[in-house]
Amino acid sequence: MSEDELAKDLGLVSAMTIGIGTMIGAGIFVLPGVAANAAGPIVVVSFVVGGVIAMVNALSVSELGTAMPKAGGGYYYINKSLGPMFGSIAGMGDWMGLAFASAFYCIGFGQYLAVFVGLPEIGFLNPIQLGALIAGLIFVTVNYIGAKETGGIQTVIVFVLLSILTVFALAGFFSFDYQTLAGSGGLTPQGSGVILPATALVFVSFLGYAKIATVAEELKNPGRNLPIAIIGSVAIVTVIYAILVTTMLGIIPWPELSQDAPVAQAAEIAFPSSIGPVGGVAGAAAAVMTVGALLATASSANASILASARINFAMGRDKIVTNWLNEIHPNYATPYRSILVTGALIIVFIAFLGRDIEVLAKAASVLHLIVYALMNVGLIVFREADVPEYDPDFRVPLYPLTPILGAVLSLGLVAFMDSLEIALSGGFVVVAVAWYFVYARNKTPHQGVLSDYIRTREEELPDQVVEAANAVAPTGNEGPTIMVAVANPRTESDLITLAGALAQHKGGRVLATHIVTVPDQTALDTAAENRDRIDASSSELLAAAKADAETFDVPIETKTILSHRGVEEVFDAARSNDADTVVMGYGGTQFAGGRAEGTLDELTHDLPCDFLVLDGEGLDLSDVLVPTAGGPSSDLSAEVARGLRETLGVDVSLLHIVDAGEEDAGREFLTEWAGGHGLADADLRVETGDVETLIGEIGSEYSLVIVGATERGLLSRIIRGSLVYDTIQALDTPVLLTERPSARSLWERLFGSGR
Amino acid sequence: MNSTPADEQRELLAHVLLPVAHEEDALATAAALEPYGPDRVTALHVVEKADGAPDKTPVEQSEEVARESYAAVRTVFPDAEDHTAYARDVVGAIFDVADDVGATAIAYRARGGNRLTRFLSGDLSIKLVSDAECPVIALPREDSDE
Repeated sequence: MSEDELAKDLGLVSAMTIGIGTMIGAGIFVLPGVAANAAGPIVVVSFVVGGVIAMVNALSVSELGTAMPKAGGGYYYINKSLGPMFGSIAGMGDWMGLAFASAFYCIGFGQYLAVFVGLPEIGFLNPIQLGALIAGLIFVTVNYIGAKETGGIQTVIVFVLLSILTVFALAGFFSFDYQTLAGSGGLTPQGSGVILPATALVFVSFLGYAKIATVAEELKNPGRNLPIAIIGSVAIVTVIYAILVTTMLGIIPWPELSQDAPVAQAAEIAFPSSIGPVGGVAGAAAAVMTVGALLATASSANASILASARINFAMGRDKIVTNWLNEIHPNYATPYRSILVTGALIIVFIAFLGRDIEVLAKAASVLHLIVYALMNVGLIVFREADVPEYDPDFRVPLYPLTPILGAVLSLGLVAFMDSLEIALSGGFVVVAVAWYFVYARNKTPHQGVLSDYIRTREEELPDQVVEAANAVAPTGNEGPTIMVAVANPRTESDLITLAGALAQHKGGRVLATHIVTVPDQTALDTAAENRDRIDASSSELLAAAKADAETFDVPIETKTILSHRGVEEVFDAARSNDADTVVMGYGGTQFAGGRAEGTLDELTHDLPCDFLVLDGEGLDLSDVLVPTAGGPSSDLSAEVARGLRETLGVDVSLLHIVDAGEEDAGREFLTEWAGGHGLADADLRVETGDVETLIGEIGSEYSLVIVGATERGLLSRIIRGSLVYDTIQALDTPVLLTERPSARSLWERLFGSGR
Repeated sequence: MNSTPADEQRELLAHVLLPVAHEEDALATAAALEPYGPDRVTALHVVEKADGAPDKTPVEQSEEVARESYAAVRTVFPDAEDHTAYARDVVGAIFDVADDVGATAIAYRARGGNRLTRFLSGDLSIKLVSDAECPVIALPREDSDE
């Protein structure tokens, strides 16, 4: 078995219990009283309508989940399809929705606990809130510590619950009285207009199925098990709700059904007070129901807290939130910070909104419904954009009807919420969008399938659409990564200055790396002994880099890389960090080591990105000279020059060297080249003579010479000691060598183009 | 891997299995083992599975932790091999892997913590020592200032 398969240990039953276990707590144990009180017996229809809406969405979640069995669920799909702005809304919505739902479950727990043991009132907290707070603290602690026993218990809890409820349903069947159900006012005492508002209230009882998708990566055979578990758990739960709520309302007239502990109340009546000689049966049954309710709400809250950590992880991975949140506890191996933050939210919601369980229930539902609506839109985008990687094992029937219906039903149901919850959730959406623009936009590297789709069809689509897509596009990826390989304190600040100027010019970010070479064979002992010293000097160097970069308005990250290889590691690091440009120093020692030459030669023929190599130290930038003869590398030189001019205000001079008699053609070329590279106002110099000598002579008038590589690999040229190399050696002026990899054939790359 | 020569097996440090929990732990554990000069080292990270329930952390995150840990071990033992196991029973998995890779000993560093933390996170030391199926080396904890 591959490692990948070893990580998957959730079977169909486990997956199903996650869904059922999360959902059943709310619908049966908490809401029937409140909902029946609002709508009358017809509330059963409200539950069924809720089930239908959930089912349509369940189909979409199943398709998305089998296409992308990744941690994060709804957030992940939306971020992938609609881009990080909607991703932020979905992530925050899902997260806050789960926090509201957890607070709701905790209140449900508190309601039964208060009935069971009798709790005091403390300050502004009523007994139920107190019970809920205690519950909330326990659930958060359990997840913080990550007691692994909780996981296995979930399955047991669900089976115990299902057994209890079956017995309850059977007992209820015999006490069922249609007259009680219909009551004096008929089935619709408040009219049928209350059906949908009641659905809005009870929809929170269907919020569990999507949690199966958040753990999709742990499912065995997700292509098969995920859809069955999601769709199956919604179906089962809907049927259970319909039967049990009908039963309860057939036992106790709806106006009298307890709003706090309906199941316990119904059980007390449904069960005979004594069976033969055994007395107190009804009381015992009520007690069992209460225990069941505590278990059910506890497992719902627990699953929600766990799921929110998954969403945080997925958001952290996309840099929508800081990864600080997802640090793992050294002893408990849990994402403790994420759990604590979510826990704090839950506590706040319980304390300030917990008096009215409806607010919590509806706020949770609205936020989830927004996510569901976006998810359906995302599904349509995936299908329409025809992304090759999008290959779900399960496909929704009746496409595009199903996802359209899902989106419409989800948003439609939001309309039946009260204005308070809509405003609250609207507020969260606004906060999420603001968060995206203020924090996440220039950090997150990915854009969605949607904006790719729009950008590739710019011509066919209305301008407004394209503009809108561009206006919200993430800048985290447009901005290139400028990787600096700092080696020593003498050149650190020069390299950071160059990188910072370039990054600011291009709206990118700086990644300062310190590559520490750990000797291959000999010095294991030394490496260990020296580690502290290395760490210290490395962090000192990188701290200096960070300070230097602050001059520029660019984000900087730092990284120490321990490696057995020296300069080769730069190439590796550039590749693995997706660097767009590498800035490094040319220290004689760096390249002189004869051992590395062979390897380096190979490496330098296949540059992973743009390279800038600085020879010299103590940069004092006032004016730069850019000798050019065209070509991709001189394009890069021009970009660097522009960046320096823009950020540091240096004067730029361009130099073009021609053979005698070709001055006019040369001037024409240079003027055009300057214009084409945004340097039309630069000082243009056309000279005749020997390239090497001239660069040497003229270069000494400037504070920096930026030389673009022409044909052969720049770095290999340095090693081989070719023309430009000599120029560098001869010049006192610092020289920046630039090389942009061009699409040359392997042959040319290996042997030069022969010129 | 059952073909390990008999004479090599007599050598306690011929092939040490090094269970590590996270980057910091890996670095400290490897540093603690380093003075004894083991011939061959295999770093092991056991991803704790909830077995039938969602894990504490996403699989992807666990694997990231594993990668970081191996990298930390390799700063001390550059040639260290690595092995990732997925199990509910962490200690059981350590012994299974020791058997699979033909390790001559398991070296670990107790993670400390007070009695409560040990109880809550499951004291692996006791299980590791009392259920030992092969030599288990407890590495000294330098009373660190970390």
